Amino acid sequence: MSGPSIQCQQLGLSLGGVEILSGIDLIIPAAEIHCVIGPNGGGKTSFVRSLLGQMPHSGKVKISWQAGSCQKTIGYVPQFLDFDKSLPISVYDFMAMICNHKRPAFAGFSRGKRELTELALERVGLSGKSKTQLGSLSGGERQRMLFAQALIPQPELLILDEPMTSLDNRGEEIFLSLIEELRSQGVTIVWIAHDLQQVRDLAATISCINRTLVYAGPPQPFLDSDEAAKLFRFTRPHADTPPLSELASTGSAQ
Amino acid sequence: MTDFYEWVRTSIQALAQQGTLPQAFEYSFVINALLCALLIGPLLGGVGTMVVAKRMAFFSQSIGNAAMTGVAIGVMLGESYTEPYISMFCFCILFALLLNYTKGRTQLSSDTLIGVFLSVSLAVGASLLLFVSAKVNTHILEAVLFGSVLTVSNTDMNVLLVVTCVVLAFGIPLFNNMLLASLNPSLARARKIRVELMEYVFVLMITLLTVACLKIVGAVLVEALLLIPAAAARNVITSLRGFVILSMIISTVSCIAGVLIPMQFDLPLPSGGAIIMVAASFFVITTIMRAVFPAYRTAKN
Repeated sequence: MSGPSIQCQQLGLSLGGVEILSGIDLIIPAAEIHCVIGPNGGGKTSFVRSLLGQMPHSGKVKISWQAGSCQKTIGYVPQFLDFDKSLPISVYDFMAMICNHKRPAFAGFSRGKRELTELALERVGLSGKSKTQLGSLSGGERQRMLFAQALIPQPELLILDEPMTSLDNRGEEIFLSLIEELRSQGVTIVWIAHDLQQVRDLAATISCINRTLVYAGPPQPFLDSDEAAKLFRFTRPHADTPPLSELASTGSAQ
Repeated sequence: MTDFYEWVRTSIQALAQQGTLPQAFEYSFVINALLCALLIGPLLGGVGTMVVAKRMAFFSQSIGNAAMTGVAIGVMLGESYTEPYISMFCFCILFALLLNYTKGRTQLSSDTLIGVFLSVSLAVGASLLLFVSAKVNTHILEAVLFGSVLTVSNTDMNVLLVVTCVVLAFGIPLFNNMLLASLNPSLARARKIRVELMEYVFVLMITLLTVACLKIVGAVLVEALLLIPAAAARNVITSLRGFVILSMIISTVSCIAGVLIPMQFDLPLPSGGAIIMVAASFFVITTIMRAVFPAYRTAKN
């Protein structure tokens, strides 16, 4: 299996008269990890939602699926799940809601879906939480559940919208190993990331978005540049100051 | 269907005359009301869980109030005083579609917008009712607004049966999609669910149900029966299956008890009021259970 590549041509987005994105020309390579970075409010989430066709964007977005891909499956991990925490919906209920075709979630899983769900929950380290209510999960556990749903069915394109928010160290380890595993299986991964060290370690290519495309290419040259330091508010007062990538290893950029 | 209803009524009346069933079942209007209660109980209980999960309580209330305006319009246009279904369905569907359409195209929050629509609908309804009150017996209007088991006819039962079939046909296969669309629209869209379409389907379901149930529960109290059983069930349940089943049970028991209790004890209560009071007592009980027994407080509020 090999995931799709994505081409954006003059991608722009205006909402309520405010220009969110403009003139983005970008190619996201197939079967690689592509990280989207940029300052808060720079339009990263709007950009990936435009890729998903969820925004009234201008310009072109073309997802080039590989020959033989009949499912064209996109997995999506949203930033958070906004819901009434007192609702009696368990992890199993949520997964049944996602997996079942027509059978309502309150009637249980369709044939074969329970096994798929158990496997996905095990992969994200939530196998013991299947009957826990969503409202009783921690933020990190809820994020892992959202990752689990994105694994059913196995995606060819995986879009992650700041998945590491509220994850603890163990959760981060699970996420990173899953992302690496999926990439090795040929999945194209578009990942909005904040931790520049993770970006440096895992991404094959990056794009930095701050209303427009600031940079696109391999991570190293940009992360070590003054432009990145300025954009992410790291300062390099002296020429011998370590590059941003080293600073990033001690914490996350804004 | 009339023959079928007649056969059911005759059979039950025969059982009542033999003493197998209580004496109240000798009256055909009681049987009509109970047949309707057996339909709307589980239906409103089930759909109510979605109303609660989707946080659309205020919306369902606005549809109930729009039904009142629909009654006034129907009477003005010369429809039957007791069954002004064409006007009610037309006005309420138009109201619901317009409200949902506007919701997707404004910066206003949902509750503000619904509040505006609800107020306008009430104002129009109140104005029109003044005109029509001279034309009809006030008790007939009361029956439509607050429910009356005495006025349930074969037409009412037919309308309810058709609406039940429509709601089941759309509500069951689209249950997951409608719920996911409200939990996280972005995730739903990524899973190829047409979120806007699901919203329209859901508001139409609520609208049809509200209009179809008004003879039993009353136009202005239907929303209470959508909410209270689900809210009562939510107090003590930790799974979606239990939530739906208990809500359906509470709603059905409330409907049956609300129909039978006033007749059994000669209480001068409209059926809608009695049904809601029974449902409310379930809510009080489950609220106390949740407060007293820690086992019911698993979710963080």
